Amino acid sequence: VILLEGFEQDDIAERISKLKIAGKTYQDDKERAFEAKGTEEGIKLLQMQQQLEKDTHQPFTGLSVSETIYKCTVLGQQNKASKVKSEFKVPDKRMWWIKLRALVEVRDWENLEKF
Amino acid sequence: MSATKDNASHLGNTPLHLEKLKEVARKELPRLLDTVRGKKGLVLDPQLTGPLSLIAEFTLLKDHGVEKIYHLDSDTLDTDCASLIYICRPKMKYMRFIANHIKQLSQKSEDSRTEFSLYFVPQRTRVCERILEEQGVFGSITIGDYAMDWIPLEDDLISMELDPGTWKEIYLDGDHTSIYYAAKSLMKLQSIYGLFPKIIGKGDAARQLADMLVRMRREQAVVDEVSSFTSSKQPSLLNSVSNHIDQFIIIDRNIDIVTPLCTQLTYEGLIDETMGINHCFVELDANLVNPNQQAGSGSKQTGPNTQSPAVPPPVTTTPNQSGKKKKYVLNATDKLFSQLRDQNFAVVGGVLNKIAKRINENYEERHHAKTVAQIRDFVGRLGELQQEHQSLRIHTGIAEQIMDYTITDEFNSILEVQQNVVAGVDGNKEPDYIEEMINKQKSLIQVLRLLCLMSLAQGGLKVKLYDFFRREIIQTYGYEHIETLHRLETLGLFTKRTTATPSRSAFSQSRRLLRLIVDDVNEVRPNDISYVYSGYAPLSVRIVQCAMQKIGPGSLPTSGPSAASLFSYVGGGGGNNTNGTTPSQTNNSSGYLNEKRPNGSSGSLNGKLNPNPGVTVSNGWRGYEEVLKLLPGKSFEITQNVEYGAETNAAMARARRHGMQHTKTTVIFFLGGCTFTEVSAIRFLAQHDESRDYLVATTQMINGNTFLEPIVESIH
Repeated sequence: VILLEGFEQDDIAERISKLKIAGKTYQDDKERAFEAKGTEEGIKLLQMQQQLEKDTHQPFTGLSVSETIYKCTVLGQQNKASKVKSEFKVPDKRMWWIKLRALVEVRDWENLEKF
Repeated sequence: MSATKDNASHLGNTPLHLEKLKEVARKELPRLLDTVRGKKGLVLDPQLTGPLSLIAEFTLLKDHGVEKIYHLDSDTLDTDCASLIYICRPKMKYMRFIANHIKQLSQKSEDSRTEFSLYFVPQRTRVCERILEEQGVFGSITIGDYAMDWIPLEDDLISMELDPGTWKEIYLDGDHTSIYYAAKSLMKLQSIYGLFPKIIGKGDAARQLADMLVRMRREQAVVDEVSSFTSSKQPSLLNSVSNHIDQFIIIDRNIDIVTPLCTQLTYEGLIDETMGINHCFVELDANLVNPNQQAGSGSKQTGPNTQSPAVPPPVTTTPNQSGKKKKYVLNATDKLFSQLRDQNFAVVGGVLNKIAKRINENYEERHHAKTVAQIRDFVGRLGELQQEHQSLRIHTGIAEQIMDYTITDEFNSILEVQQNVVAGVDGNKEPDYIEEMINKQKSLIQVLRLLCLMSLAQGGLKVKLYDFFRREIIQTYGYEHIETLHRLETLGLFTKRTTATPSRSAFSQSRRLLRLIVDDVNEVRPNDISYVYSGYAPLSVRIVQCAMQKIGPGSLPTSGPSAASLFSYVGGGGGNNTNGTTPSQTNNSSGYLNEKRPNGSSGSLNGKLNPNPGVTVSNGWRGYEEVLKLLPGKSFEITQNVEYGAETNAAMARARRHGMQHTKTTVIFFLGGCTFTEVSAIRFLAQHDESRDYLVATTQMINGNTFLEPIVESIH
């Protein structure tokens, strides 16, 4: 429940702190390892997105991991996309799909050739 | 306007006269509107406009002084009406809106005071009153209830039209309000048609519902006793067993969640899957419905559109599209549609083609019309013909649109995954395909439909796959879906496999015992209910079959227990004759049990689909204990008796003389929603069962999408 409250917060700092509480609650329960890890990742993503917003002046928060990679690729920020990929251990297969879709979207045939 | 007349003309053709139900709800509305004098504005719960439009047309509202209709969807309301009537479901959100309206409007002008009244559907709750109190507006509002119980959609289908999510409310939130509403509404049904002689059901929530019905009946008896002194008794048939309804079957959605997750393959089902059917209406491109037909023949088609009140066009339009969306009514008034609706989509094209040819031939007949009489005859039929033409055009349009979707690789791959999973073919292809869908960011609901289906059919996913998909989903669709996944797990929809033996899931066992997978489907000339999913027979309806169609070789000839029980009531004259039916039942079921053994041959179940008329005998769950044990929840059978006095005995005797002629109706109530395909499947049963009619009742119509949507977490 705290998790959802967290996602309802507009302010990012506020959101992160709420999520941290949620993560703690999950950690108390061994059965909920998946949720705990997920929340942790969620926080990490938000922090990265904040950084991305600073660098690109584009809104990023609220996007999922895949959507973030997609957007980075569309904006031509291949390095940043790769960084997100490695940070979240995105499987190669999904990575290709995302890149493919993104590059087709912006008709960046050159980069498409490259991989 | 005769729009409603047209709209309702398809009702009232069965012994139950469902028209009556509609009248009950309809009569109530003007009474409620008349409580406020003069001109007034009506503020409606957006979820209720659809159902309301099915029972009352706009002119009815106008006749009772309604000037404007608003939607209750924000906390500001600009109106110049002197009085406002709110009609809404008891939800906290709405209470806040209303409180704000009241504050805002009473601030605006001191001199002209607005009057407020509020009607809860179906009834008020403490919580809502409490909120109004807290907001300090409780005193300035008149509160009432409006029980809009049953909305007859068809002659064989009535719905409470609750918001989708009943199943989730019951099994996830532990919120049993809808069971209570259902019980209330069923009491209403019984007060109109008499007590259900027998209630059978399966599932925990179903059990609760049945208990509630029994209790309410007892309470009602006490109330009746008291009110008989004050003589303000309302006419009700709660004191007699129904002449028309022979039994009442409650199917708890919880026993079969596989079926709604599958893609429906009947015509009506596919329309619902692709475009969505809301309260009998489907939204189509305007140019499809009405290109430039003259108003004459178009009026009937678009008539219901004008009657549905308060559906502001801006909401339904998609600005970038050339055509506006238009509502089109789908029910048995459309003769063509009633031919098509229950057909497997595979044959719809052919049928349309045949009809087109026939209509064309009919048009051509004008050339052969030589004499004046013949011409007059032709002109007389012209209106009908044109109308048929119009509806043919619309349905061809719809079918084309669906076809555009059904020929895509996506649709076919999804279908293949579904069919394999349901049939118990566990390959590697299915998970791969789902992974690909996630990678392509296909709609989460569609992905979850497949995953849940797989989990249910296989008794959970292998731990490795389970963890993989969970990760993929939250990374692709957002971390808020941790909660979605958690809910799905709690509900048992998406779980990891706990036991090592994979094929022991309840579903796979019932698949075998109930012969859910039929290989030789004949879609053109269906011989089994499995045609609705091209090979998969909906579990829920198989359960209904279990309860209904037991025929043993040694069963009694004709006049089965249903007749016998009626005799015994009369003969017993007030005695408690519960066991009047038992002897013949045991006789039956034992005979049946011998036959039931599943020995691989296509014997038992198929045999039951073609019951010899007159031998059909319903004796509850006996013979199916094994299967029922596999499925969640209790199964039960309750017999409702009445101790008759002498005068009712005479009445019963009379009823027997007149009443026995007409066929009995079996009511099947889906607690937690049912799909259009299930309705089709039950219609199929009805066609092959001469001895009785079927009436499907449900809390709401659902499909896989509307079924999962309430569970999926959404952030705005």
